[in-house]
Amino acid sequence: MSPAILAAIVAVVLVLRLWRRWARRDRTAPGKPSWSDPFSSDVALVAAREMRERFRGRIFRVGTLFILAVVAAAIVIPTLNKEKSQPQRVGLVGTFSAQLRESVVSTAKSVGVTVDFVLETGAQQARSDLRSGRVSLAILDGRELVVNQPIRPTDGSAAAQIVFALAVNLGELEALQAAHLTPAQARELANARALPVKSLQPGTTRGTTNTTSLIGIILIFVMLSQYNTWILVGVMEEKSSRVIEVLLAAVRPIRLLTGKVLGMGLVALAQASVIVIFALLLAKSVGSDLLHGTAPMVLLSTLVWLILGYAFYCWVYAAGGSLVERQDQVQSLALPLSLPIIFGYVMALTAAASGNASPFFKVLAYLPPTAPFAMPVLVGLGEVAWWQFFISAAISVVCTVGVARLAAVIYRRAILRTGGRVKLRALLTRAGGNS
Amino acid sequence: MAGILELEGLTRRFGALTALAGLTFSVPAGQVVGFLGPNGAGKTTTMRAVFGLTDLDAGIVRWDGAAVGESQRRRFGYMPEERGLYPAMLVGQQLEYLARLHGMSAIDARSATGAWLERLGLADRAGSKVDALSHGNQQRVQLAAALLHAPEVLILDEPLAGLDPSGIDTIGDVLVQQARAGCCVLFSSHQLDQVEDLCESVTIIDRGRLVASGTVDELASSGQRRLVVRVEGDREAAWVGGIEGVTISEIDAGAARLVLDDAVDSQSVLRAAMAAGRVTEFAFERRRLSEVFREILR
Repeated sequence: MSPAILAAIVAVVLVLRLWRRWARRDRTAPGKPSWSDPFSSDVALVAAREMRERFRGRIFRVGTLFILAVVAAAIVIPTLNKEKSQPQRVGLVGTFSAQLRESVVSTAKSVGVTVDFVLETGAQQARSDLRSGRVSLAILDGRELVVNQPIRPTDGSAAAQIVFALAVNLGELEALQAAHLTPAQARELANARALPVKSLQPGTTRGTTNTTSLIGIILIFVMLSQYNTWILVGVMEEKSSRVIEVLLAAVRPIRLLTGKVLGMGLVALAQASVIVIFALLLAKSVGSDLLHGTAPMVLLSTLVWLILGYAFYCWVYAAGGSLVERQDQVQSLALPLSLPIIFGYVMALTAAASGNASPFFKVLAYLPPTAPFAMPVLVGLGEVAWWQFFISAAISVVCTVGVARLAAVIYRRAILRTGGRVKLRALLTRAGGNS
Repeated sequence: MAGILELEGLTRRFGALTALAGLTFSVPAGQVVGFLGPNGAGKTTTMRAVFGLTDLDAGIVRWDGAAVGESQRRRFGYMPEERGLYPAMLVGQQLEYLARLHGMSAIDARSATGAWLERLGLADRAGSKVDALSHGNQQRVQLAAALLHAPEVLILDEPLAGLDPSGIDTIGDVLVQQARAGCCVLFSSHQLDQVEDLCESVTIIDRGRLVASGTVDELASSGQRRLVVRVEGDREAAWVGGIEGVTISEIDAGAARLVLDDAVDSQSVLRAAMAAGRVTEFAFERRRLSEVFREILR
């Protein structure tokens, strides 16, 4: 990953240089929205208020717990099916050689099961134990296997697998004894192992990665939808409650807006970090496959694209919020705004579930509105090189700056216009002013 | 604190409508100035222009001779016509937040919030949400929001609207006190009697233009002199008929209200009244502000 780290450093340096250039240009143009020094006091105050109000809200706390519960279920449930659980109890009736005992233990081991032997007093006792479930199977005189219920060939349980394997192995053992081979010959045959099969391509844990990709996509979708809606409604409420006039008497519009999206973004980052760290710790403690293969990279890219996706969409939603001042207007605006998110989400879900990325899907991974969904999936499928990842991220950052500038213009012109929904066309075509 | 807020040539058009048509006036520090005008005269647009909340087609706002910008506005206090507070935010937190946006430190913001809530009788409501307060108390919080940072200029759009008499007294006292402390106070109102009680001077605008400006005393005593004369037993005031330059404005329960031309000597009116009978009342009358207002805008 060293080239990737190098590229990341180069990208950060580039962004900072661009930022400083814009900052210099803004200082020389008084009256224009200023982007310089976004962390100075009033921006920080606005951001801190957003964070405090959000953390205080019940929806945030309950929502976080709900997401954590879903993530926990997604990690823990697959590990329950592994059944590395109880040893199988095997009832023994009659004579039972050491060789036979060793054969049973090694057979059980080969199917990933341990066994406990139960010495039965007779066939009657063994049947009784089988019926009561005290033992899973009984071996009568090393020649006969008895189970309580018939076992279907498709049964994949540990008990069924050991019965099938024992049936074969004990049968072979009996045949070897009947052939009167020397103990050394018999041991050679008994130790026969299947030949290892090698593949030309390296092995992947694609199943696990797909699960991680799915979790990541859902996380990005849920969080982008949630935080964007909060921004939309938050801006609308400041407008409709008229508190905006009091705020703008002290703070410039662009700084108020920057503080708002910054504060909300930090809340989103904090929540996402808590969820990812929780997922990693839980995966480690229950021995989930989440930490194997490309899954950690998928999680990391999910986090990166959550940030990039939020940075892109937050401005769009903030500008949208400044156009409206009633709940019903918010609803009619929210649908068209969310269409690209829903589109990206559905395409990414389809690609992650099928394990195939079409050329069209690969194009989506470079478009800022859909890249937050498509790129993590490509990372999961191992179909993207690190430099492609960074090109997509760079495109997203550049477009985000453009979108933010447009949003700032719309916000400044629309936020003080009250008395109905502001038409975007009227706002952008005529010299915008406040009513 | 001393200074002067100057508004010069403010012009603002909304399509075909001209809200401000070259409005020019000034507000000196240390006075409560009433800002009057009929609905739609441009009062709110003027006040918003001071805070940069409306774009101007022309004109400039100056404080102490310098064009008003972001740093000056932080030292101004504003109470908008349509009250604006975060409905679900706690009163104390909200006021501290607004004070800090005006540049106060956290400690100063906290102590100013406590002091103003105490002063406005809301000390026990710091932990309440704004929307849990009555209309009058919300208005007090809104006033506190404009005052917390000890502004040099205080601009209030209809601060008395919808208040009960005790609320009007409280806010009126605060405004006068701020002006005495050297603040420049401009407030709009339609309650002209209250404006007359509170203000040293008034500015009256109509259709975006200045139509009158001066101290309340100047305006009240400007124009034609008014006399109230009561002659015992005389209900018609027929004696006035013979005096040139004197007209009867109204006769109310035997008291005749007379309007005197500039050239008329009041002593000749007194002599004519005494000739008609025993004079029980003879007084110059100051015009009420509401009369001045109506007369100017007629």
